[in-house]
Amino acid sequence: MIKGQVISGEFGKIIVRQKSLEKMEIGELLVAENQDTKMILQAYDLVYGSQISQQNLELISGMNLEEGTDIDFFDGNLRNYTLAYLKTMITLGNGGAKISKGLPPVFSNVREVTSDDLKFLTKPRNPLFIGKLRSGSKMLDVDLFLPGDKVFSHHVLIPATTGRGKSNLTYCMLWDVMDRDYCGILVLDPHDEYYGRNKVGLKDHVNSKAKLAYYTANHPPVGCRSLKINLQQLRPAHFNGVVEWSGPQKEALTAFYKRYSKQWIESVILEKPVDGFNEATLAVLKRRLLSLLDMEFDGSQLYCNGVFDINAGDTTIHDICSELEQSKTVIIDTSPFSGAVEILIGSLVATEILNRYKGYKIKGLLDDKPVVSIILEEAPRVLGKEVLEKGPNVFSTIAREGRKFKVGLTAITQLPSLIPREILANINTKIILGIEMAPERQAIIESAAQDLSEDNRNIASLDVGEAIVTSNFSKFAMPVKIPLFEDIVKQSRKEDVKKDYSGIGFG
Amino acid sequence: MKFAHLADCHIGSWRDPKLKDISTRAFVKAVDLCTGEKVDFILIAGDLFNTSLPGIEFIKAVTKKLKEVKDLGIRVYVIAGSHDFSPSGKTMLDVLEHADLFVNVAKGEAIDGRLKLNFTVDEKTGAKITGLLGKRGGLEKSYYEDLYRENLESEPGFKIFMFHSLLTELKPKDLEKVDSQPLSLLPKTFDYYAGGHPHFVENKKIEGYGVVAYPGPLFPNNFRELEKLGRGGFYIYDGGKLEWYPVQVYNAYSMHFECNHKSAEQVNKEIFDMIKSKEFFDTIVTLRLDGVLDSGKVSDIDFKQIFSVLYEKSAYFVMKNTNGLSSKEFEQISVDSGNIEETEDKLIKEHLGQIKVEGDEDALIKQFMQALSLEKNEGEKVADFERRLVDEVKNITR
Repeated sequence: MIKGQVISGEFGKIIVRQKSLEKMEIGELLVAENQDTKMILQAYDLVYGSQISQQNLELISGMNLEEGTDIDFFDGNLRNYTLAYLKTMITLGNGGAKISKGLPPVFSNVREVTSDDLKFLTKPRNPLFIGKLRSGSKMLDVDLFLPGDKVFSHHVLIPATTGRGKSNLTYCMLWDVMDRDYCGILVLDPHDEYYGRNKVGLKDHVNSKAKLAYYTANHPPVGCRSLKINLQQLRPAHFNGVVEWSGPQKEALTAFYKRYSKQWIESVILEKPVDGFNEATLAVLKRRLLSLLDMEFDGSQLYCNGVFDINAGDTTIHDICSELEQSKTVIIDTSPFSGAVEILIGSLVATEILNRYKGYKIKGLLDDKPVVSIILEEAPRVLGKEVLEKGPNVFSTIAREGRKFKVGLTAITQLPSLIPREILANINTKIILGIEMAPERQAIIESAAQDLSEDNRNIASLDVGEAIVTSNFSKFAMPVKIPLFEDIVKQSRKEDVKKDYSGIGFG
Repeated sequence: MKFAHLADCHIGSWRDPKLKDISTRAFVKAVDLCTGEKVDFILIAGDLFNTSLPGIEFIKAVTKKLKEVKDLGIRVYVIAGSHDFSPSGKTMLDVLEHADLFVNVAKGEAIDGRLKLNFTVDEKTGAKITGLLGKRGGLEKSYYEDLYRENLESEPGFKIFMFHSLLTELKPKDLEKVDSQPLSLLPKTFDYYAGGHPHFVENKKIEGYGVVAYPGPLFPNNFRELEKLGRGGFYIYDGGKLEWYPVQVYNAYSMHFECNHKSAEQVNKEIFDMIKSKEFFDTIVTLRLDGVLDSGKVSDIDFKQIFSVLYEKSAYFVMKNTNGLSSKEFEQISVDSGNIEETEDKLIKEHLGQIKVEGDEDALIKQFMQALSLEKNEGEKVADFERRLVDEVKNITR
């Protein structure tokens, strides 16, 4: 269906006159076809065009409004119209799909995109389903996949204002990877939502028994693990990005660790001796550790009230990392904890998995391991400029060098502008949902894998569930409609396993 | 109420002629201790035998002891463990149960694709006992996931749940590589959780559950356990008080030599120096040597002479482990020092996904390994053995 015609413009700003009675939308995909090539274009702006001067248009409008005259245009469709500004996305020819480097001929007809035009979008070997391709607000029957292993190892950013579908997108991605074996994902879940304790969630996936692990400190559901972490697992470096220590406090932590090794925290609390530190410094350390780790000390005995324990949780971090290595999705319910404790837990797992994967690389075993991604909500808490000015942490290390070891971050935020430019540039895939604030949009546009310089309005006009995916692993910035998670669950296949209770005496 | 809680007797686990009957002797000794303590009943939380169809001499000894206990009016309640369970149901436990020598408490019914367990009530004390068996590779997990909990948790009275699984929440650091099951799989509100499977001694009162206890094996089952545990034991629960009773069949003495930066000659001398001043009467002695010798070969260490001296000093049995020992004169070979199950697990995981298999490939491999590890029984005809083997495999592929 012809929707318009190319009339003028320049590269990146092709002007198309819209055919009367047709409607173009911002974000709509269109095709300009030649003899041997097809060019896929996308509308990024719409303006009115008219053969009548602005002054006359204003006059005619005034007569209609003020005097009630019924003036109509002779050949109105010819004289007043809509102009669309299009940018080239991709050129399809005999050589396959290539990034466009030219313009369609003037007066080329521009038509609606069809599924046939998009056959070049094939399913990669380790697919990550993002959603259906979208043309404007219309959803096409074209599934959009990215190479999940590469995408997760090279980091993902999900920037969006509240209510635009961040959680829904995360649900959908997690649901999809639970069907695959290329990726283990750690989810620090501050709202205890993804498992679906009392509602639909990842527990309803047909593979949940084999591919999902859920850790919670709050009455674990059947088959789920209670979250306890032994104090001996903690090292001073785990607190980087979690707590701000003064110089002497940092030195004291290191001194305790050097002297008392794994018992260093208990030693701080029990006021065991270390030389060269002010009593006040040690007292502050003790107080802050007790508070952060939710412990009490009555002068003789240490009581652990929170997730950190002196007797239990010896293997929790190891277990979590092993599950990630088995390409499981591991959800840690961090809803009962403060943000600092949540980050501390994340820091423990992230450090362990990164070290393991570094070891595998040295031994030449890394190729056999699945990618691991760590989902971080409110990512600027650990990747923000202010935090990083005070020193690096394991998450910033992963952001910079994790891809070499198949460990990546999936950072979710409303405020991408708080993340330093160099880290944003290292995040090679961005799934952009609606963002209302201009500085946030700008931060994303400036660090996108494709040129989104003309997409400011496009991003601002994204509705709930609509996204633009820009990635080093896609040929163009793809408009996407993300399905509703509840719909995916409804459509999913049901378990049909024959039960075997051999060994049980029946009758 | 007073009862004994045994687990992991692994009767028939040692193959060396001198140690072959040691697990049986430990079992006999433990049962004698139980009768001496006048327990009301005995629990055996899995792996009474090391295989589902043990040798006749082991069956004979166990049957005799169980009969004695029965005649004293002490009931024995068991569940199958990962070693003595058989997917086809052909296990000696069934025979002994039919002979009324004990009661397998893993009983219930399948209702609408879920598993409802029934209680076995001990007549003498009124204790209500139920439980679930253990399977290789933690495959019993699916039983727990399908379990009706309402009837179990709402049942009044003193309740005991027997299980044969390693619980994550009780897993020590040195077993971090071993698969485990979360505590949340167990039904709540039982007074006592009689556990088996992991070979360590532990008991813990856990909020919402009760006392969860692992007595460990009745006798160590391999070199590493001999080093670590020295001896086995079991629990006796007496009116809320839990006490661990050691079972000492022989003394055990472990020696560990770190050989880095030493020559074979120096190590030799060190060992002789160590043993010359000691007596080893009726003792099982283990020698572990680790490290890289600076000079000389491992074979230069005179183990023959060392063993000879130890036996002269009345040692009952001597074992050595040099897996972690190498020499600079030879290329260093890295040897995994984990146990057999860990090594199997590691190898399986390394080779997963090479062929297309429907369902849980890991679980399937473990089931096949168990089925194919069956041995021909004494007096069993080849044809019968083949049929039994085929039945086991059919059960898996069904």
